[in-house]
Amino acid sequence: MGNILIVDDSSTMRKIISRSLRQAGLQVDDIYEAADGIEALSVMEGKSIDLILSDINMPNMDGLEFVKCVRAKGVAVPIVMITTEGGEDILKEAMTNGANDSIKKPFTPDQLNEKLGGML
Amino acid sequence: MSLNKEIIQATHLEEADLATYVINATKEVFSTMVMMALEDCYPLKEPVTSFHCSVTGMVGLAGTYTGILSIHCPKSLALRITSNMLGMEVDEVGEDVNDALGEIANMLGGYVKQILSKGGLDINLSIPTVISGEDYTVNSMSDSDCVIIPFNSEGEQFLVGLKLHKES
Repeated sequence: MGNILIVDDSSTMRKIISRSLRQAGLQVDDIYEAADGIEALSVMEGKSIDLILSDINMPNMDGLEFVKCVRAKGVAVPIVMITTEGGEDILKEAMTNGANDSIKKPFTPDQLNEKLGGML
Repeated sequence: MSLNKEIIQATHLEEADLATYVINATKEVFSTMVMMALEDCYPLKEPVTSFHCSVTGMVGLAGTYTGILSIHCPKSLALRITSNMLGMEVDEVGEDVNDALGEIANMLGGYVKQILSKGGLDINLSIPTVISGEDYTVNSMSDSDCVIIPFNSEGEQFLVGLKLHKES
């Protein structure tokens, strides 16, 4: 069981991810949402988050910067990038900044289960 | 409407190869995220630049290649796409439709970036832009270096366009 934070500037994508997490049969308690990295950092304050799913290409603070900020705060929560950005270099940068894994959009509930099952 | 020679030389892709890639990407996005089966009707028989009661989602590419990936669909189809994506009935064009069409353009832009970019850092995708209206014209669709692919879903047609330039 776990609390999940979804960070994506698309409200449609946040809803799809949220629905897919439940369809995937993952043990999810509360799902929190944020539209960019800045909002996500604010949402995280005072909450117990067990897994973060973050987009990369977002306004205000993108996913790469967001991951860096989370790790700079000493927070060790698993972070998985869910993104259209499939390039090796950009994903390598995300991992260097502290992300744990990545999932490419579009995805299926089964793919979410496979990637995230061991993290919750 | 065809790819310019510069793009063909730089990518080693003929127009039909690129079109096939975009067709497969669009079908995958629609089958996994929209739960909608599509039929492609490539090539486009007559140029289309004017849109009536339509919604257009666009994402820009900037870097070693520049361009625009766009999706143009009638409002009725945009509503059906959005309803399917959200799992709830959407009956007017507004924030949800704009967001859904923008996200589809973003995902398709991601696919295009993947075939053009060496590792992902040499091309950037813009934040998606969505426009809608009763009557509007998209000028980039009239250019000679724009690949346009028509799709059909349950009798309604929509277009996916890709306009590309190679930066020197």
